[in-house]
Amino acid sequence: MTDVPTIVRLGQKVPLFELTTYDPTKDEFGRFSMAQQMERRRWTVLFFYPADFTFV
Amino acid sequence: MGCDVVTVSTDTEFVHLAWKRCEKELERVNYPMAADPTGNVSRMFGVYDEKTGLALRGTFMIDPEGTLLCTEVNFYNLGRNIDELLRKFKANLYMKRKTNEVCPSKWKDEGDKTLVNPGAKMVGKVHEALEEALQGA
Repeated sequence: MTDVPTIVRLGQKVPLFELTTYDPTKDEFGRFSMAQQMERRRWTVLFFYPADFTFV
Repeated sequence: MGCDVVTVSTDTEFVHLAWKRCEKELERVNYPMAADPTGNVSRMFGVYDEKTGLALRGTFMIDPEGTLLCTEVNFYNLGRNIDELLRKFKANLYMKRKTNEVCPSKWKDEGDKTLVNPGAKMVGKVHEALEEALQGA
């Protein structure tokens, strides 16, 4: 592995990452932005899971 | 509840769409489903499994300043307990407002006993402090 990323730890600021999303409320693709969450003063809960079409 | 839930897996947004449309169990899902096909964000939070290319069952709570306040990671074969997660979320929201209080293990919801101004005086006297808080509650 060439690029070993740092893992964010408790009490640290998370990096300002972005992700493409599927938003079921609009049935559209969208964007999640950590910077935008902070601008809007919102709490965020990230919920990771292994894979779609399995038993979450 | 005052926080934005975003789910993340290494599937693409197209797969999320297809899954959401065909799985009846997901009918009530109304949060954005994020795609992390490179695994970069999963790596950032330490849940990326290099062997499989999948993300483990990690839950992370981040406050409005962007600080990571809560982490829980389960392996593939263990599901999350939503009651315990909600307890932790509620506690973090509560402590954001009441910055001189801390929530002990038995704290479940607003109105339950907390420890106020924990400090040197409380060392060795946590039992008494909890009793006192209970009487005051």
